[in-house]
Amino acid sequence: MNKKKLNIVLAGQANVGKSVIFNHLTGLHQHIGNWPGKTVEKAEGNLHYKGYTIDVLDLPGIYSLTTYSIEEIISREYIALRKPDFVVNVVDGTNLERNLIFSLQILELEGSTVLALNFVNLFKEKGIEINYKKLEEILGVPVVPVAAIHGKGISEVLGRGIELVSSKIKPKPLKYGQEVETEIKKITEFLTDIDLPYPKRWLAIKLLEKDREMERLFETEHPEILKKVKESILRLEEIHGHDSTIITANERCHLASEIVKKVIKITKPSKLSLNEKIDLLTLHKIWGYPVMLAIFALVFLTIFKFGNWLSSVLEGITAGWQMGWENIFGFSILASFGWMAIKSVISLIEIALPYIIPFYLILYLLEDWGYLARVAFLMDNLMHKIGVHGKSCIPLMLGFGCNVPACLSCRIMETERERFITGFLTTLVPCSARTVIIMGLVGKFVGIKWAFGLYLFAILMIFGLGKLASKILPGEATELIMEMPDYRIPNLQTVFLQTWFRLKDFFYVAGPLIIISGIIIEGIYLVGWLPSIANFLSPITVKWLGLPVITGILLIFGILRKELILVMLATLLGTANFAQALSSVQMLTLALVSMLYIPCIATIAVLWREFGWRKAVGITAFEIVFAIGISGIAFRLLSVFW
Amino acid sequence: MNKEEKLFLINIKSDKDAEIISILGGQMVNKRLSDLGLTPGTKIKVLRRAPFRGPIEIEVRGSKLVLGRGLASKILVKRYE
Repeated sequence: MNKKKLNIVLAGQANVGKSVIFNHLTGLHQHIGNWPGKTVEKAEGNLHYKGYTIDVLDLPGIYSLTTYSIEEIISREYIALRKPDFVVNVVDGTNLERNLIFSLQILELEGSTVLALNFVNLFKEKGIEINYKKLEEILGVPVVPVAAIHGKGISEVLGRGIELVSSKIKPKPLKYGQEVETEIKKITEFLTDIDLPYPKRWLAIKLLEKDREMERLFETEHPEILKKVKESILRLEEIHGHDSTIITANERCHLASEIVKKVIKITKPSKLSLNEKIDLLTLHKIWGYPVMLAIFALVFLTIFKFGNWLSSVLEGITAGWQMGWENIFGFSILASFGWMAIKSVISLIEIALPYIIPFYLILYLLEDWGYLARVAFLMDNLMHKIGVHGKSCIPLMLGFGCNVPACLSCRIMETERERFITGFLTTLVPCSARTVIIMGLVGKFVGIKWAFGLYLFAILMIFGLGKLASKILPGEATELIMEMPDYRIPNLQTVFLQTWFRLKDFFYVAGPLIIISGIIIEGIYLVGWLPSIANFLSPITVKWLGLPVITGILLIFGILRKELILVMLATLLGTANFAQALSSVQMLTLALVSMLYIPCIATIAVLWREFGWRKAVGITAFEIVFAIGISGIAFRLLSVFW
Repeated sequence: MNKEEKLFLINIKSDKDAEIISILGGQMVNKRLSDLGLTPGTKIKVLRRAPFRGPIEIEVRGSKLVLGRGLASKILVKRYE
């Protein structure tokens, strides 16, 4: 058996079905990590095909981002410098013209390329006919029709790619308009003796486009070349009357539309497609909103119902375990620590199974279906008021389930600034653990109206703090630019795999921290420091917040998991009838402070990972001070009226 | 009737066609929009406008895009019948 190794990459715009192809190729043999030093996901995997071991790298989807986005730079550097054996450019065949603009840029990098023309299964319905042979001729690369969702055409992509590798055929350069070509040729000549790993023609085009990254390569060593480029740019700008950045882009758009005219035949169906009909409702200027509310109400209700049910089942299963442990290992200090570690693992599972898994499944289902883009469209304006745009409402909604996946999902935001604002705000969203406190304490003993009042207060506060944060942080809100994907049947494999890999993340990040801090708190408890800590905190808890001394202990445990506040309260009071020990005002104050006072340890860990320790500590410190301040004021105000 | 009237994309009503004349704003905005196929001379159709001064959805080169209101008010167009 020959062990031939190949190295291939998948490249394409967002929503072209790239991840479906990637999952189909690699299945569970994949690893999702980060690009070194970047918060951009790096997905790698491998497979065996016809005696080859093929390493597949899924390049980040391009275009969701700003001009010189990290994703774009990562992708082009990888193709230009690491020179994969071949590039699979995944293209949405139902969106050929716009996708070709990107393909032309890939081809300019002059690596062996296979064009995987996806969604051919939708051609009939959309009245699209594409002449593949002709497209192949024009582009000079293999074009393979693919229906990724049915797994069709994917092995042919590999086959054609391997043929390419042995034949060493590179794409032939596509020609732009004459004026541009003249200048490209001139610059290429100046570049003859320059030793850079990039293709010369590509470099010339990038210099013409005033690409900062490329200009930097010349600034110190060859300023004379930049001067020549400047002359070319001025000549072009004079002819075209536009900035040179747009001239080449313009040429590409023009070329793409010329190519499309030659290869595609569209007979538009006369009646409205199903997609358009659904959008008449889901994007309607009035009805779109109740529909959205209904969908999310359903989502939340399902998750809370399912979560509560499953967590009570899990509690039932694990209820006797502590006794069992003590029967076997006795009551030594070591045994207590051991039990604490196990209890932490159980608690982790009790968050993950009932709440996080359903949340991820539903999120990815909605995303793959195409609905989340509609939410972003409907919510954009409201989100702009707090300095971010439409997409940020997705992490915020997720926060109602669990802040951990919510913070992780802030990656969908484009700029660091928006990621941070959204991340900060998600930690204030009342998650399911906080719902347990609000409902179990306020809803049950003070009144359901007050419980909803707390929710409303939290939402208003999030808006207020969002506005504040967007004022304080430098930079402007980015404008929303996104593709509106057609609704399509979600691909279950993609949904499950996404969920699975995110869940792995959660266990790796939150797991160790919850276990370690659980053991530390057990240690503090065993040496009998808890009462002294409670006393130490009493100026805040008793004097300022008007709560009993034991609150100090509750708040310490609450760092671990918020719902422990309620569990510990029952344990320490010796009763679950909280109204006996606490006044209504005290219950409201306790619920309020529990809601806001700190992100739980797992959320802090995610903040740390996503935004660095400084920002994680900053958010935590702010929330402690803010929550104590506002709860004390609330206590005083409520005491006046009660 | 045939007089060419310049207006911003944001002022085009739903279901109407327009042709891009130019895009105001910096190099970044221009490059990003042109990467998406929005260049001078491109014909677009406004599909719908979100209420409360929200974003607009357009059809361009056979695909659908959503643009924030701020962006749409930087794109100079003329009506196209």
